[in-house]
Parts: sequence; structure tokens; C-alpha cells
Amino acid sequence: MAVTPRLTWLEEKCLQILLGNASLSLLYKESAHGCSIQKMVQRCSQQGPTITMLYLQKSIVGALTLDHIPKIVDDSEKQCASIFFIFQKDSLTVMSTLFLNLLKVTSDYLEFYSSDKLNFWIYPKKRVFRKPDFSVTKFSTDIQYLECEVFRVEGIKNDLGCIKKMMTATQHKNKLLADLRIYKPHADLVSKIRILLLGPVGSGKSSFFNSVKSVFHGHTTRQAPVGSDNTSITEQYRIYPVKDGKDGQYLPFMLCDSMGLDETDDEGLCVDDIPYILKGCVPDRYQFNPFNPITPKHPTFITSPSLKDRIHCVAYVLDINSIKSLSSEMVAKLKQIHEEVLKCGVAHVALLTKVNDCDEVLQENFLNMTKKMTSWNQVMLINQMLGIPLSNILMVRNYASERELDPMKDVLILSALRQMLRAANDFLEDLPLEETGKLGFFCSSCKALVFFEKP
Amino acid sequence: MAVTTRLTWLQEKRLQHHFGGKQFSLLYKASVHEFSSENLLEKCCNQGPTITVIYSENYVTGAYLLDSLQEEREVPVILFALQETEISEYKTGSHRLETLVDIKKPPAGFWMDLGNKRVAMSSKVSEELGLPQPCTTSFQECEVFRCKDLLDERKEEGVIVLKRTLLFAMSTYKPYKDMVHQIRILLLGPTGAGKSSFINSVKSVFRGHVTNQVLVGCDATGISKKYRTYPIKDVNDGQCLPFILCDSLGLSEKEGLCAEDIVSILKGHVPDRYQFNSMEPITSRHRNYIHSPSLQDRIHCVAFVFDATSVEQLSGEMVAKIKRIRREMIKYGVVHLALLTHVDSINLITVGDFPDIYSCVPVKLKLEKVHRKLGFALSDILVVSNYVSEWELNPVKDILILSALRQMLWAADDFLEDLPFE
Repeated sequence: MAVTPRLTWLEEKCLQILLGNASLSLLYKESAHGCSIQKMVQRCSQQGPTITMLYLQKSIVGALTLDHIPKIVDDSEKQCASIFFIFQKDSLTVMSTLFLNLLKVTSDYLEFYSSDKLNFWIYPKKRVFRKPDFSVTKFSTDIQYLECEVFRVEGIKNDLGCIKKMMTATQHKNKLLADLRIYKPHADLVSKIRILLLGPVGSGKSSFFNSVKSVFHGHTTRQAPVGSDNTSITEQYRIYPVKDGKDGQYLPFMLCDSMGLDETDDEGLCVDDIPYILKGCVPDRYQFNPFNPITPKHPTFITSPSLKDRIHCVAYVLDINSIKSLSSEMVAKLKQIHEEVLKCGVAHVALLTKVNDCDEVLQENFLNMTKKMTSWNQVMLINQMLGIPLSNILMVRNYASERELDPMKDVLILSALRQMLRAANDFLEDLPLEETGKLGFFCSSCKALVFFEKP
Repeated sequence: MAVTTRLTWLQEKRLQHHFGGKQFSLLYKASVHEFSSENLLEKCCNQGPTITVIYSENYVTGAYLLDSLQEEREVPVILFALQETEISEYKTGSHRLETLVDIKKPPAGFWMDLGNKRVAMSSKVSEELGLPQPCTTSFQECEVFRCKDLLDERKEEGVIVLKRTLLFAMSTYKPYKDMVHQIRILLLGPTGAGKSSFINSVKSVFRGHVTNQVLVGCDATGISKKYRTYPIKDVNDGQCLPFILCDSLGLSEKEGLCAEDIVSILKGHVPDRYQFNSMEPITSRHRNYIHSPSLQDRIHCVAFVFDATSVEQLSGEMVAKIKRIRREMIKYGVVHLALLTHVDSINLITVGDFPDIYSCVPVKLKLEKVHRKLGFALSDILVVSNYVSEWELNPVKDILILSALRQMLWAADDFLEDLPFE
């Protein structure tokens, strides 16, 4: 007699991702082992983190707990933190989660509940359960289920807050996608925000563009060439528009990719190129030369860039694991560049890549960064090194070694992008305006008089 | 708090192989659930076939129960011992649980005294298993796992659904903005890496049975000398699929495909069936040279093909050559991937591992090595197992082939989207 989960293989894979690449081992199956709490507890007690799942026609309802299920059946109340969840089969998404912190195991039922009496209650003899009722009514309805299974969950993080985030990341990702699709630059001054990616060789600039595009396309993309080499793979200036899916509309931002910085002079991006990039004088596909910056005499030099050609936000892209070992020459170069950016008044953020603890970066509700993450020291280092405000130091993990998208990584990428667009809006709002809408601005760095024109 | 097995990945894999391609789910662990036969029975009865693993100081031993453990019921038992990389076994017939855990009952030649953490074997059993005397040994841990086929019915159903989804995605694929009718994918790689075999495998998947139309090793030295462009037909409606696979001369340190020819291929100057000459690249004076190639004639994606079993032995010269070619591709904006063949020849990997192939430890290690040696991003290194000696398709192999193909088509979309306006 086979003891096999009712969960399909594809559903199991999806749940594994939502649980942070955990694996599931079936311990108890009601139809094979008997409809009683005693039979369930015999097999499921003292097994470490477990997930109890009740199957309905179109969804799975259950509770995940990190604590052992106790082996003794009595009526006493026990501390046992858990997350109640509802998993929709058709969308493969967790639609609802709730923290519960108490557990009671009696000879007839299993009850996960909270001190304010929200409870998830399973009564195997009658194959019914009661789910937490959020409405004012005092009467809950008993619901029939088709099957009950309990799995051990292995390789899961020992933090219910992180797990709740992973389970609900898809919902938040969809919200961020919707917000970004309808974003409009301040006062419609430009139709697309230009975000410049600057940073050392190998820090993940081109990978970040690929990752942003991947999130909107729903699969990994590789438009910008990446790979490991000692010198920059990216040698051209690229202005990448991003579409909302393969056949979708263009999104209201473009990512500008540049040659990597090198600590040595005459290697990597020429610092003297940067003022021209910021002003919008450098055309798409311009071939950088580490020895000679672009000049107004270059045949493709844009002599009268408008506001839409300018860079509206700069992102300093740094490998979070290399910050402490940046050479003094690289730090000096970054500071020199930062002075140019400040002089031109462009909005700026820092983007730390290759974050290991994606699920720790944001709070449970995804609204803010947390300070308890293991990478907070690196954040403080950048704050001190370049004077960038803490809220503008962003963290992502690019899609460079993964083959499948992960909602938690998607959320970090989209959140970073949103912060860049907010910073760009601040920049646009702060632009000096003359009555005619046309103004001149003399930039001492590039010795050029640049005119902005309101579209 | 977490309850996990003591078995290493390799130990688990060897046992799984030995007992016929199983996967294990931990049900009972003595150090957590008490060294007690009552508790073992509580957790492990009615769970289907199980394997009991006992960890002694110098070796792992145990019993494989071919049927569900139940009280008062006899179950066929195979005893085994795992030492280093060798597994020995001894079939003892059918026994009840009591004979395995209670020394007072007539022995099966093997019994566990859980309470005292001792295991005993008859002289005959220890001799059969190649274990040293004496017959009674203490052990540190006992674990019991449910044994299920690695490719069970549930997983096979999932694979078939996935294959159907992939086939539909391939046959309905449209290149970015319909800029071309068919995507051209160029296969490059060392001689013998499996480029032509991959083309045959793709053809086979869409034909419904294994085909060998593309000649493999048609020369005494096993080299394809001609440039070939292979359209693929969908067997359902006879229509050509929206991609063409292009096969070329293999790369080698001295002879093989020369760099100038690669540039000509990328730009679309080389006609189908062009005979390569490693000493002399194609020129515009060649009779069939395509002087004004359209976007349709160009290569839209390149797949570097390497044999997973020999990619680490590529010479320094070959590695340098591949890196130079990659730099050239970046210059022309062509998106490229790495494709490792013969994934089932990697240590301990079987067809049963294919559905979750990227999670397997030896595969992860292999990809890391290719990443470090050749510089491809990890997500750009794909694995397949070509059809070489089979007659009929296996959906598990098909999903690797189709998944790799889908990545190539996505990469080609990126190439088309990145083309400068003209």
C-alpha cells in the first residue's frame, strides 16, 4: 500500500520555493494511517518543523510550526508558534497568513490558536476543520476536508517572520509590479527616468539590468552580457529600456549601463567621462576608452541634450561582500565620482548586490528595511564612506546563479527600483524652473552650457 | 530542533542506487524519538517499504523491509552493510518485527537491542556482509526511512504535464516582434562534445521517437566537416518549428573551426553545407557566399556544447580559445550559453535525478567548476542527456532538452531586442 502525498509534484516544488527551498517528507496521511489524533501524534510528534495540510477542492489550508508537536495527548495549552495559511491551487500562491502562538492536542482534535481566540481546529474523526474567523460573528462553520497530511519540513529557516515573508512575497511582488507600471515622473517632465549604474568591475551592474528585465518577463533574461573576467565585460555605454513582458509596453524608466570602474588609472571607466554621461551627452552604444574620455568633438557627442537625455538617478553598484576589502584607490575614485554627482545635483542611491540573506532585508510587512539583518554593518560603511542616507542604501540579489525566479528576490529588486524612481522624482521636483520653462545651467565640470526644455 | 539524517548525500545516494533508485523520507531517529522499539513501531508502521539504518563506529549497517511494517505480520528483509563505497547484502527471507528487535525471540540472524544501543549478528550474517567478528557491536544512532521510487507515479505525471507545457511553448513560440521567422541557434564546442547528438535529440523529441538523421562521427576522426542548418518539424502538423539548429566543425587547439569562420557564420555569410577548411576561412569569392545576409540569416543565439565528463580536462589552449570566441560574441552582441551533455555520466547521477537535476550535489559542483574555468554565469550553464543508444523517448530526458531549448529561445529574444535600430 503506497503512502504518497496528495500534493502534485509541481505543487510541491512551488511550496518548496515558498518555504525557502525547504524539502518535505510525508509523515502522516489520514487515509493511510487512520482518522484519529492519536495516530497522527504517534507519527508526527518530535519531528522538528512540520506542516499540517488539509486538502479542499481548490485550495490547501494548513499550519506550519517550527516547534515539535508534543507527544502527549492532554487538554493543556502549550506554547507553539505557527503560521496558518491558505494556498490557492490554481495560482500556486499563498493568499492569507496568520500568526498563532498556542497549541492544544486532545484525544479528539488538534487546535492551533492565539490568545485572542483566533483558532485553526482540526477534528479528524469527522474530517472537519474550523479556520480562523476574522469577522465579528462568534460562530465559526465546520468545513469538510478531503485529506489531511503532515510533512516534516527540512532546510527551513528558524524564523517564522522570515517564513511568513517568503510565503506572502508573491502578493507583495504583484503590488510592486502594479505600482511601477503606473508610475509617472514628477509633473511629466520626462517620459522615462534614466538610472545610471556605476561601480567596480564585477559588482553586478549588468546583472541588475538583466534581473529587472527578468522580473517583468517572468523568466531569467540575459540581454546584457555578463560573466567573470578580470576586466569589465561591459565596454560600451548602454541605455536599456525595459518592457512589461515580451509583448508589453515600455516601462517609465531606462537603466544605463557603463564600463566597470577599476582602481588603476587608465583601466576601466574614465572618471572624466562621467560628467558627460550625467549631462546626457553620451549616446547609446558609445565605446568607452579608458585612456581618452569623450569630447564634444566626437562625431556622436550629443551637444544639446534635453532633460530627458540626462541621468536622473545614479546607483552606485557594489558587491556587499567586497565592501570591506575595497582598496583605498577604489574608495578615492568612488569619492571623486560622488563629488561630480553632487555637483550636478543628480539623485543617487547605493545598490548592494550579492546579498545572502534576502529574506532578512525587509520587515515582515515589506514596508521598510530591518536593522537586524546580518548585512547592516556594510550599510553603515557605505553611509559613512559616501554620505548616502540610510534609506537610499538598497540591497538585492541578482539572478546570476539561479535558473528560476524567486518571489523574495523579485521583491528586493522591485523595491530597489521603486526607491530609485522616488529619488529621481525628488531630483526632478528640485530642478530650478524659470517662467518660460526653459533655463540654462552652466556645469563647471564639463565646461558646457546645457539647456533644459520642458517637453 | 530540526530533525535531519546523519547520512551524507553520497551515502544516501549509494543506498538509493543499491535498492533500485529509491528516495528516502526520514520517519524515526533514535536520538530524538528515544531508543525504543515501541516508538520505532509507532512512527514507522503502515508507511510502506522502509529502510532501517544503524550507525556503528566503523560502518553503517541495517535492514531493508520490502513491505509495510505492521505488527504480527511477516515482511521480507534484506540485510546490508555500507563500508566506504561498497554495499554488501544478505537476503534473510520474511520475518516479523519482533525477530529484529527482541533478542529473546528466534533470531533472523540479526537483531537490534535499541534500549542498550547494541546490534547483534550471527556469524553467518556477518560473514556474508563482510563485517569483522565479534557478533555484537554497540551503535550510536538508528534511523528509519520510508523508501519510495525516485521516479514515482506522482513525479512521472508531473514530468508529463511539464513536457506537454514545454512542447506547446516551443511550437507556439514567436520571435521578438516577429523580426525573423525562425531563430538560428549555433552549436559550437570541442570535437566529440555532443553537438550533433543534441540536434538529433531535439529532432527526436518533436518526432516522437529517436532519430539519427544528423550523422555523428561521420569521419574517421569523428569530425563534422560541413556547416549544416537543420530545421525541426513538429510531427503533429508537419510545420517547421520557429527555430533552426546550426552545426559546425568542432573546435580544437590546432585544426578545427577557425575564428574568422565563426565571425562569418555569426553574420550569416556561410551557406548550408559549406565545406570547412581549417587552414583557409571562407571569403566573399566562394561560390555560394551570402553577400548580403538578412537578419534571418544571422545567428541569434550560440550554445557552447561541452561533455560534462571531460570539460574539466580542456587544455589551457582550448580554454583560451573559447574565451577569445566569447569576447568576439560579446562584441557582436550575440547571446550565448553553455550546454553540458552526458549529465547522467556524472558520478551517481541517474535518469531518476533529472526532474530536480540542478539540486544534485555533483551537478552543482560540476557547474561551479565550469563557471570558474570558462567564465559563464552559473544561470547560463544548462545540462542535458542526449539520446544516443535508445529507441524510444523518455519524458524525463525530454524536459531537460526542452528546457535548455527554451532558454536558448529566450536568449535569442534578448539578442533581437538589443539590436540597434537600423
